[in-house]
Amino acid sequence: MTFSKNESLPREKLRKLQLEYLQETVLRVYHLVPFYKKKFEQMGIKPNDITSLEDIAKLPFTKKQDLRENYPFGLFSVDMDQIVRIHSSSGTTGKPTVVGYTESDMDIWAEVMGRVFTMGGLTSKDLLHNATGYGLFTGGLGFHSAAERMKIAVIPSSTGFTSRQLLLLRDFGATAITGTPSFALHLAERAKAEGYDIQKDFKLRVGFFGAEPASEGLKNEIANVWGIDYIEVYGLSEIIGPGVASSCKHSHLLHVNEDHFYPEIIDPQSGEVLEDGKRGELVITTLTKQGLPIIRYKTGDITSITRIPCRCGRTLCRIESIVGRSDDMLVINGVNVFPSQIEHVLSKISDISINYQIIAEKQGYLDKLEIDVELSEDFMGDDVCELEQLKKKIQHELLNALYINVNLRLVAPRSIKRSEGKALRVIDKR
Amino acid sequence: MKYAIQQLSVFIENKSGELSDFTKVLSKNGISIKSILLADSTDFGLVRTIVDNPQRAKALLEEEGFSVRFTNVFGVKIEDIVGSFDKVVSTLANQNINIQYTYSFYESNTGIFIFSVDKNYFEAAINSLVAADIQILSASHFYK
Repeated sequence: MTFSKNESLPREKLRKLQLEYLQETVLRVYHLVPFYKKKFEQMGIKPNDITSLEDIAKLPFTKKQDLRENYPFGLFSVDMDQIVRIHSSSGTTGKPTVVGYTESDMDIWAEVMGRVFTMGGLTSKDLLHNATGYGLFTGGLGFHSAAERMKIAVIPSSTGFTSRQLLLLRDFGATAITGTPSFALHLAERAKAEGYDIQKDFKLRVGFFGAEPASEGLKNEIANVWGIDYIEVYGLSEIIGPGVASSCKHSHLLHVNEDHFYPEIIDPQSGEVLEDGKRGELVITTLTKQGLPIIRYKTGDITSITRIPCRCGRTLCRIESIVGRSDDMLVINGVNVFPSQIEHVLSKISDISINYQIIAEKQGYLDKLEIDVELSEDFMGDDVCELEQLKKKIQHELLNALYINVNLRLVAPRSIKRSEGKALRVIDKR
Repeated sequence: MKYAIQQLSVFIENKSGELSDFTKVLSKNGISIKSILLADSTDFGLVRTIVDNPQRAKALLEEEGFSVRFTNVFGVKIEDIVGSFDKVVSTLANQNINIQYTYSFYESNTGIFIFSVDKNYFEAAINSLVAADIQILSASHFYK
C-alpha cells in the first residue's frame, strides 16, 4: 500500500511532472531570491534555458556555506508572513543554518512523512513513541507533525531519560518508535539490564531510524532485538528534514520522494553528474518547496542511485544507505559536527592553544566525543579551580554552539602529537 | 623583592609516570626539592614546588617538554606553639587578603609555611606580616 499515487507513477509521467516543477522552481528562485538571480546571471543562464530534466546540470550548486552567508533568511523566497515554522542547525562560524517552511511546505513534509509511515504500515490505530530530539532540529517535530496529521497518537518523548522511556514504552504500549539507531540499541541494552523481557513487555512492531549512518549488521541487530521492522529514514534540514527518502519492508534501498526532491549523484571534485549505480555525492533540488527552495544542494553524503522499480510497486528511484561523507563531517548521536566548528569555538577562548584532538568512540551503543585541548604556553594560572573553570567554560561553549556534550580534557602545551608539523585532528575509533 | 620565592608550577596530566618523569629531571641534575604540593583534578594536576635552583630547574624542565611557570610565594617561619599559625592567617584575614593555598615543611625543628596570595596583594601581605612581627624568610634562604 502506498500513501500517494505519485509513488508509483510510470517513470515517463513522473519525469514530466518533475520537469514542470523544476521549471517553476527555477522561475521562483530567479525572480524571488537575489542570490540565485546573481548566480544564474554570472553563469549566463536564463530560466527558459531549462527545457529538459537533463538541463539541471547547467544550474549552479548550492552549498551549506551559501546558507550561512545568507543568514538568517536571505535564501527564503517568501515574506515572513507566509512562514509558519523555522528550524536551524549549528553553524561553523557561529552562524547557524536556518530553514523556513510555509504552510504548503508543511503539507509537503506531512505528505512525504506520511509515505514513510505508510511504508512501516502505520495507521491511525498506532501509538508512536517519538524518541527523536525535539527543538531546533527537524527530527523530532518532523516526525511529530506528520504523525498527528495521520491521526497517529504521538508520544513526544524526545531523547535521553532512558529508564523513563522504557517505562512509558511498556506502559503505553507504543507500537512504533523513532530515533537514532544507536539510541534504539542503547534502549534495548538498558531494557535487558533493568530486567525487562523485550519480546513480552513491549508491543513495538516497527521503528523509523535515521540521522546517523548504520551498517546492515547494526540494522539487523536492532530489528532482531526489538522484534520490529527497521525502516530507515533519510533527510536533512536544508531540504526538508526527515522524509527525503526511506526504505520499505521489501528493500534496504531508500525510495527518494523525487516528485518533491530531485536527486543527482555527482563526482564531488569535478561536479560532473554520474551515471546510475556509481557512487558519488548526493545533490538535491527541491521541486515543490516555497519557503526555502534550493537548487542542487550538495548534501556531502556519498551514495548511489538506481531507477529499477522496487518489488513494493513504487517506481521512485532508490539510493543506498549513506556510505560516507565527501567532507570531514562527524555524526555524534545524530548531531552533525564539523571539526572546523569545534575549532571556531576553541579559537574564541583564551588560555588554550588552537591545538586540539577530537576522539570519537562508542560507549556501549552511544557515541562519545572526547576533545583534548592544549593549554596555552602562556597560561599563567597556578590554580586548579581556574583550570576546572576553564574546562567547564569550554564544555559549555561547545554545548551552546554545537549542541554536543563532550568529554573535555585539558592537556599540557605541545603534548598533542603532530604529524609532519600538523596535529592529527580527528581520531574516529567507531 | 627579597621575600618573593620563585615557585615552579608545572601542569601535568593525570596518568601514571607523569610525576616521576618530572622528578627525574630534577634528581638527574642535582636539584633539590625543598617542598612540593600536588593539586589534582580528574584529568590533570598541578605540581607546585620550591627547589634550590629555580631558574636552572625551569630551563631543564622546559627542555624536556614540561610547561613551567613561576609563581611568587613567600615562606613564613612558624614555631610549634599553639596559635602561631592562627596568628599568620588572622593577620592576613584582617587585611582582607585571601590565601590561595598554603603548604608546609619542616626545617631543623621549625615549620616553614609557604603562602600564595593574589599577586596584587603580595606586598600588602608581606607588610602586614612584618608589622605583626612574623618572621618571613628571604627567598635566598631556599636557594643554593
